[in-house]
Amino acid sequence: MLNNSVIHYRTVRIFALLTVLNIAVGISAACGGARDSAVGGAKSFKVALLTPGPISDQSWNGSAYAGLMRIKDSIPGAQVSHIQTKTPAEFEENFRQYGAAGYSLVIGHGFEFQDAAARVGPEFPKTIYITTGGNTVGANFGAMSFAFEEPSYIAGIIAGAMTKSGTVGCIGGTELPPVKAAFEAFTAGAKSVNPKVNVIVSYIGNWEDASAGKEQALAQLGRGADVIFQDADAAGLGAFQAVRESKHAYIIGSNADQNAVAPEVTLGSVVIDIPHAFMVVANEVNGGHFKPRIVKLDMRLDVVRWTVNPALAAQIPAAAAHAVDSVRTQMLAGQFTIPAATLTK
Amino acid sequence: MSGGAFTAFLESGVRFATPLAYAALGELVVERAGVINIGLEGAIICGAFGALIAAGTGSVWLGFAGAALAGVLLAAIFAFFVVTLKTDQIITGTAMSMLGLGLTGTLYRTMYGTAGASLHIATIAPAPVPGLSAIPVIGRAFFDQPVVTYALYAIVPALAWWFYRTTGGLALRAVGEHPEAARGAGISPSRVQWAALLFGGAMGGISGGTLVLAQVGTFAEGMSAGRGFIAIAIVVLGRWTPFGVAGAALLFGAASALQTLAQTMGWGMPYQLPLAFPYLLTLVLLASTRGRTASPAALGQRPA
Repeated sequence: MLNNSVIHYRTVRIFALLTVLNIAVGISAACGGARDSAVGGAKSFKVALLTPGPISDQSWNGSAYAGLMRIKDSIPGAQVSHIQTKTPAEFEENFRQYGAAGYSLVIGHGFEFQDAAARVGPEFPKTIYITTGGNTVGANFGAMSFAFEEPSYIAGIIAGAMTKSGTVGCIGGTELPPVKAAFEAFTAGAKSVNPKVNVIVSYIGNWEDASAGKEQALAQLGRGADVIFQDADAAGLGAFQAVRESKHAYIIGSNADQNAVAPEVTLGSVVIDIPHAFMVVANEVNGGHFKPRIVKLDMRLDVVRWTVNPALAAQIPAAAAHAVDSVRTQMLAGQFTIPAATLTK
Repeated sequence: MSGGAFTAFLESGVRFATPLAYAALGELVVERAGVINIGLEGAIICGAFGALIAAGTGSVWLGFAGAALAGVLLAAIFAFFVVTLKTDQIITGTAMSMLGLGLTGTLYRTMYGTAGASLHIATIAPAPVPGLSAIPVIGRAFFDQPVVTYALYAIVPALAWWFYRTTGGLALRAVGEHPEAARGAGISPSRVQWAALLFGGAMGGISGGTLVLAQVGTFAEGMSAGRGFIAIAIVVLGRWTPFGVAGAALLFGAASALQTLAQTMGWGMPYQLPLAFPYLLTLVLLASTRGRTASPAALGQRPA
């Protein structure tokens, strides 16, 4: 028993080695080759991105990374860095590191980064902290607010018109306010064309467990849902697989254009053009005329949009397509208010 | 609840339980040899990634072989540190989990970029067993599943027989209970622990392979989603016996399936509550078996 209580020097050495190994792997995973040097001559513009999940999710995080790459390719002298974070403690720590390293713009990719931005922002007044989603504004921090509800409402119209069973489903990763708002708008859209439609809402509990995402979808399909709107990043891939295998249901993509994930069953995607949104903010910050605020990004700015899957567009009833066009025209004119809808839980 | 919904719930429970059972049965053998491998999570995610790579050949069975191999490789690193160099099991295991998650994420992005792998990995479809799958209520749940699930029906009794009826099983248990006595009887504890860990790695890898090849049809970073840690709890819940572990895995799977069902029923509860079902159940069961521990006596001890 004695050697259990004594820390062997070899353990310490090996643990140190393993820690270094892990950090090395972590860093290479996080950066993914994103560190690039500035073009000679141009002034330096350093931009960092923190994502809450892996950039290979073909959704929320992947399109943020694409946005970072667009900044790197479009703004002369831009240097970019990306890191994947998990916990609020990491959010703050990484915000501080980038502030201390003199970054001009640090993007926390999600509603959940706003508290960290408000805490760290005042420590590094020369750095602009922006969160994608959120409602916190200060001297050098603000948020991008996507009108994700607008295309979600349109997706609801399509789902309400396409369902044969009268039941449609929503699957989210966790119940973040923007996710809930999207599901409410989707419900309102579905009810606008199909007042009796039943909307089931389920959450996976995380954004990575693709197998659990599939089971949530199978449970909804089992309850009769035949159109599923998923907003669950990598975990949502499991929902695509469940719908593909069911052969009688449809699915709707979110965040990125996910129509290619399962083109035979995907009606369309509720897209946030995150690269476009990032460019709007990055250009302002780079030009020195960024005013900290909630940057509202809606369909009129073409940052959010409904992208129909061309392969299935012909299956959407003409009346629904017409309703979509009419709503879209009103939204583009700024004349549409999404009716409130409550989710039945 | 209608009969159809109940059958669907049972089917979902068995699907949830299958990867957990593989990982937990592997961990059972490891713990019976006196080692606790907290790095099981790493073996599962490496297995999922190994499955993705090997299934690129178009063969699901090579996919499973790749999954097992990836799990074995990570387990070999763990065994080298813990058994050969005698490092602390908990610290090394934690490092293995982190290594597995970080390494697979890096490799996945290097090989597939941000576009990811498509959903079109070859998967095995459920293969209904004629006759048995027609049994009312439970037939489809237990006998309309992929072949990997059926393999468990053989692995569990085989392990039980091996544990209690063979000299190899006796050696394993002796090492886990009293390594000095085992050594006195001419058994090499380190050789037994190495073998147990490699077996546990293969089973953990197959667990990850099941996620990719029998369920999702693609890989996602972090898709192991804590199953390695749940499997360790399942071993405790199953009181370190093969049938107990299988039963505990099934119970946990059923609780997970109940969670998906509860969310679709519109019972009006906050979604966090059903999501917590499996964990609450585990806590309650662990607390109620307190004081009657059946753990191997030398579990987690560093060999002299």
